[in-house]
Amino acid sequence: MIAIVGLVVGIVLGLLFTPDVPLPLEPYLPIAVVAALDAVFGAFRAFLDGIFDDKVFVVSFISNVLIAAMIVFLGDQLGVGAQLTTGVVVVLGIRIFSNVAAIRRHLFHA
Amino acid sequence: MSQSAPPGNPQTPASMGLLAYISTHPLDEDYGYVSACRGQSDAKSPRRRPGAAGAVIAAVFAVLVVTAGVQTSRNAANDEQQRRELLSQVNTARDTLEQERDQIRALQSETARLQARRLRSLGDTRALNGQIRALGTRAGTVPVEGPGVRVVANDAVGAASAREKVLDSDLQRLVNGLWAAGAEAIAVNGHRLTNLSAIRVAGDAITVNNRSLRRPYVVEAIGNQDTLPARFAETTSGQAWLDLQREIGLRLRIETVDSMRLPAVESPTLRYANRSPGGIS
Repeated sequence: MIAIVGLVVGIVLGLLFTPDVPLPLEPYLPIAVVAALDAVFGAFRAFLDGIFDDKVFVVSFISNVLIAAMIVFLGDQLGVGAQLTTGVVVVLGIRIFSNVAAIRRHLFHA
Repeated sequence: MSQSAPPGNPQTPASMGLLAYISTHPLDEDYGYVSACRGQSDAKSPRRRPGAAGAVIAAVFAVLVVTAGVQTSRNAANDEQQRRELLSQVNTARDTLEQERDQIRALQSETARLQARRLRSLGDTRALNGQIRALGTRAGTVPVEGPGVRVVANDAVGAASAREKVLDSDLQRLVNGLWAAGAEAIAVNGHRLTNLSAIRVAGDAITVNNRSLRRPYVVEAIGNQDTLPARFAETTSGQAWLDLQREIGLRLRIETVDSMRLPAVESPTLRYANRSPGGIS
């Protein structure tokens, strides 16, 4: 499947080049990863539901990552970065868990 | 899917609790919305599997995750390395300290040995006289002559406030720095410093041996003229004076003198201390 190929290619590229994250962007990498994880699990669930759409996936992925990073950035500027990070992680975490639960139901019919 | 939002109405009112809403609507509602729209337009759409764009995004996701992981492990390795370096520095410093302690112990026992020998030879008068002379040179009761440095300190140009003037503490610092740098005898404006000399402020002037001084303050120190200025600059007092020079503009000039004569202190009167009945030793 093409998405898994993309995943593998990405892992290989990342390991080969190990791109250096610019220092000012470093604090936003973890939250961007969490947001991306949410988008990917959402997409996988939609795929299992049979309502997957490329365009929606692309848009949701990019907007998720950007908005999560932006919220944390804004929080940092306002001095409440840690609290906003917690908020974002809680919301995304709940979504990830619910999506994974649905995926589990699909795969194991449990 | 039973939990997805009703088609065409992605904005379900979140009248229930926010967390409950999040957990019941974990999927981006656009998926349902788009598929509903497509379902209306043509029922059998082939676009249900990820295409090239999806694959690219999957690759981006993988790169993101790998980068984050690599970054974290690299930082951890860095921290570990720094910790090790600090540890080794601490150990080296501890070893040095131990060595220096040993050295101090050795020197102390050496000093005690030499003192004992010297005391034994004090019996004859010539040695006693020499001893008194040597002590007098140190104490300031005997005039001395020798090479050294002359330090001229003065207020900043156009000094208005006390901050820009040479204070008694500055002069004390200067003298202490010279002692620390290895000076053997010091006089300030011709007043020999003894172990009883005080440099302090009285009214508007600085006094040494209870005589007030006039600017500029000339501090003459006998000692090794090659090493005195450099060692003075290395002492904390010297550093403080360099700062004063740079920040406030106090003037300080150090010149080496091949031979100078420092007078003895005028009245080395002791009012309370009496010679102990046992004599010098």
